[in-house]
Amino acid sequence: MTTLAQANLPAVMHQLTLAHYLFVSAAMFVLGLIGFVTRRNLIIMFLCTELMFQAAGIALVAFSRFHLNHTGEAFVIFVITVAAAEAAMGLALVVLLFRRRESLSAEEWAEMKG
Amino acid sequence: MSIIEKVQYIWPEIAMFIATCVVMVLGLSPSLAIRRLCSPVCGAALVIAGLLAVMGPDTAPAALPHLMPYAKVIVAGVGLLLLLLLAGTVDREEESLIATGRARFNPLRTNRAEFYAFFLFSLTGVMLCASASDLIWLFLALELTSLPTYIMVTVSTRGRSHEAGVKYFFLGALGAATFLYGFAMLYGGTGTTDLSGIRQHFAEHGINSIAMLGLLLSVLGIGFKIAAVPMHFYTPDVYEGAAAPVSAFLAFVPKTAGFLAIMLIASLPGWGYGPVAGADGVIRDGLGAGASLPEALRLTLWVMAALTMTVGNVLALWQNSVKRILAYSSIAHSGYMLVGIIAGPVGERFIDNGLAAVLFYLLAYGVMNVGTFAVLACLEKSGGAALQSGARSTGLETGATTEIETVDDLRGLCRTHPAMGWTMVLCSLSLLGFPPLLGFMGKFPLFTAGIAAGEIPLVIVLGINSAIAAFYYLRLVAAPLLEDPSPASPPATPTPFPARPMAALLSAASVLILVGFAGVLMKQSAKAGETVVSPGHTAGRGASDGVAAWNP
Amino acid sequence: MLATYLPVLLILLMTITFATANLVITRLLGPSRAGGSVKSMTYESGMNPVGTARKRFNVRFYLIAVVFLVFDVEIIFLYPWATTFANLEPGSQDSAIWLGRIMFFLATTVVAYLYGWRKGVFKFD
Repeated sequence: MTTLAQANLPAVMHQLTLAHYLFVSAAMFVLGLIGFVTRRNLIIMFLCTELMFQAAGIALVAFSRFHLNHTGEAFVIFVITVAAAEAAMGLALVVLLFRRRESLSAEEWAEMKG
Repeated sequence: MSIIEKVQYIWPEIAMFIATCVVMVLGLSPSLAIRRLCSPVCGAALVIAGLLAVMGPDTAPAALPHLMPYAKVIVAGVGLLLLLLLAGTVDREEESLIATGRARFNPLRTNRAEFYAFFLFSLTGVMLCASASDLIWLFLALELTSLPTYIMVTVSTRGRSHEAGVKYFFLGALGAATFLYGFAMLYGGTGTTDLSGIRQHFAEHGINSIAMLGLLLSVLGIGFKIAAVPMHFYTPDVYEGAAAPVSAFLAFVPKTAGFLAIMLIASLPGWGYGPVAGADGVIRDGLGAGASLPEALRLTLWVMAALTMTVGNVLALWQNSVKRILAYSSIAHSGYMLVGIIAGPVGERFIDNGLAAVLFYLLAYGVMNVGTFAVLACLEKSGGAALQSGARSTGLETGATTEIETVDDLRGLCRTHPAMGWTMVLCSLSLLGFPPLLGFMGKFPLFTAGIAAGEIPLVIVLGINSAIAAFYYLRLVAAPLLEDPSPASPPATPTPFPARPMAALLSAASVLILVGFAGVLMKQSAKAGETVVSPGHTAGRGASDGVAAWNP
Repeated sequence: MLATYLPVLLILLMTITFATANLVITRLLGPSRAGGSVKSMTYESGMNPVGTARKRFNVRFYLIAVVFLVFDVEIIFLYPWATTFANLEPGSQDSAIWLGRIMFFLATTVVAYLYGWRKGVFKFD
């Protein structure tokens, strides 16, 4: 079995360090957070939370490679599972709300205030 | 520790899981008699899980070695109260239509099976939080606790609960993403997801900046579960939108899971953090001579605790809906309990151990909280609020009833419905921390542990907040006790489900009777709060346990 | 360094050439007739297309999709298990334990399936 380091990868791939991956992951997390706070469409907001989940996934895989163990990759499998469960549930809830309101805007939450 | 060895600790969860599978299928039977078996099966599962937790191994190789039996037993106990209270929450209209022969049983239109299965799933998640020995495990346990609650909120009533469910889901997903990112950073900083392994790494190499970021993000994200300040926005709306029994569930179950998780996260660096000499003779921060959490973590928790208490108590003053008052009070109580987390295990005695105080308070809060929400669930009005919220068509056709809602509805309750009125009075006084009720027994050790840890300013904030809380709790006490029934609003009628008043009366009785057993409970919680990373005996015991568990 | 990417570039060129050549040669050589109503019809595997593409789907498709998700996610866990299981000594105690684990895991899926069946997800009427 060949590991990633032994595989015949282009040289540019060897210049990538952990920091590059972490930067991508942090950028995704922050973009997801900003999107969640600023956008008012429920589907977009849902996608933003997914983006944040996958940002954590990227960080986990990068760290897994960095530490040369498989724990992070195992973690990612569980993250994907939970994200799938959340997707099924989130879309069901959004469809339910859409049937009631015929709108996907988060402003519709404003029925309860306090 | 391999999973095979781990199984001996999780028999209660396995029993709960099997019961969940059974309930999921039973609840979809076309026969009413079989469908009705759902809640007895849930009850039996909780009793069995509680017994298994007591009989199971007492000590685990973890930072909090005796946590499991205590945490699982209080979850099973309060779970039984909640189960009584949840009777008849879903499918009320469908069942009455089927009973009168106006509709046939349609599995797609009923929610009973899912509701009870999710109830058990969520409690299983809390128990798994207590047994967590790994970040992956903790993540899955927290998600198992909260995912079912989103659906439970949504199906609990016909009207506002949809918005409440969607709001709860979205903010919950945000919280989950935050603590997941924190867990990823903790793994990145230490190279392992095993909790003892991380502790071991911190003891040997100190806490690097990535791991510290991980600790902070984890605590912030888990703050959603306990409704602590930056993540508290959903609380009043969700509690108001959900049916009262489900609100009681939300106030206890995710909060317990969150506090167990925060305890485990805080025990990674431990409460004995300070400068120590490394193997190479260089002095750096590590698990050693200090007497508190790492400064950044302590400061974050400090600010969270102070803001959570203050925001919860101050905003509660302006509310008129009982559920919103209780929601803000639930936020405030999380703030109180965070004081115990910050204080940590200062000494061996119960009153010096902040963790023991939190564990005891969780039980006390669970009981009195079920009592107050049970009063709302036990009394209902016809029409009323359903008309206002625009659910006119469903409200009138089926003669739907709504729970009582405002403080006005509580007026004169001690005369019109004495049992409910006195339950409200007792539980509110207990939430206020009025001696000698259970709430006082719970709050007192938080003060003493805070003082023992030297967190004097925070204890002062706690004291001021307890005084502010008196204003709104006394409204809840005065309305049923002293005032006359409001002539404007229609009189409330008792609910047709006898289990609900039973839950209310049991909670009210527990608020009084458990005081008599406070000594035993405190002893148990003091034991559960014992940690191998307390300042007195830190590096030695903690590290050696860590090695044993890490390299099997 | 760029030489590593040469095969990719070649394949890319070949596909583009093949596709454009096909289009151009057909246009040049083939007989051209004015398009009729049948010719401009949407191709739907030989059937006559019915209705609009934007119509509402039955909610059962959603339920099927959710049930599919159960099996879909299950597969993720089977892959790492399979690679590990292949390396275990056949007939050893370890392999029995590993088989037991995955069987328990699959049994939980049966519960999900049973639930979906009782709920009426697989009933088409």
